[in-house]
Amino acid sequence: MPTFAIVILVLFSAVLAGVVVVRPAITMSRAGKILAFGVFFFLPLFSLVAGMENQMQRSESTAFCLSCHVMEPYGKSLHIDDPAYLAGAHYQNHRVPADEACYTCHTDYAMFGTLKVKLSGLRHVYIYYLGTPPAPQNIKLYQPFNNRECLHCHLGARSFEEGVVHTADPATLPAIKANKLSCVSSGCHDVVHDIAHLNDAKFWKETD
Amino acid sequence: MASANSLEKRLQIAGTLLILGLLIEALCLLWKAPIAFIIFVAIGGSLLGVGVLVYLLSLVSASADNR
Repeated sequence: MPTFAIVILVLFSAVLAGVVVVRPAITMSRAGKILAFGVFFFLPLFSLVAGMENQMQRSESTAFCLSCHVMEPYGKSLHIDDPAYLAGAHYQNHRVPADEACYTCHTDYAMFGTLKVKLSGLRHVYIYYLGTPPAPQNIKLYQPFNNRECLHCHLGARSFEEGVVHTADPATLPAIKANKLSCVSSGCHDVVHDIAHLNDAKFWKETD
Repeated sequence: MASANSLEKRLQIAGTLLILGLLIEALCLLWKAPIAFIIFVAIGGSLLGVGVLVYLLSLVSASADNR
């Protein structure tokens, strides 16, 4: 449901509630009782659920993640004009949806992973507003990056399954799939954001 | 009559809480900052929850008064 429609619904509910507040006597009739139930019970709950859904979707957007200033360098790294930069290459070539770039790679594709990630997000918001956010270069993952997040898209893809480096040693692919050989920290795809070298990087200009 | 007035007063309290909650929710939906989510849930959601609860309690107490 688009944000605009939810806002209209919420304001409409508020206006109807205002009518009952100003003239509570209308609830004495049968029709008034039904109106009061709709306005005081059904509409607020529906607005809350629709609003929550909207907020949840918004929290997955790239713009949402990059709205915290400590994330700015990570946003810049998405525009580095070098295919060796994993995050930038995925973003620029739409291997991940550009408007949900951060979430697509940094979510958890395990069972209850979405809930876990949302709770982590709440922790980030808490630290950002009420704690001391770390400097961008000191931001670390809670746990080493799990290959599961890469394999969510790449598993079964020809470029992955038949890649020259992946198939050079028969033990490589099973080790990657078992998360024993990390995609990002084993000397293979290990240049991800690399924000320490942003000053030396050349940037791709995104056309609208 | 006194019971009707008391019910109307409770409905007005519930309605006021709900209006405040709904206005906060509308503002948070238009405000695109991470803190908006927290305000949406913590303040808007609480006001709506309490408003609905006051409304339901007013119904229960009104039916008890009528017995």
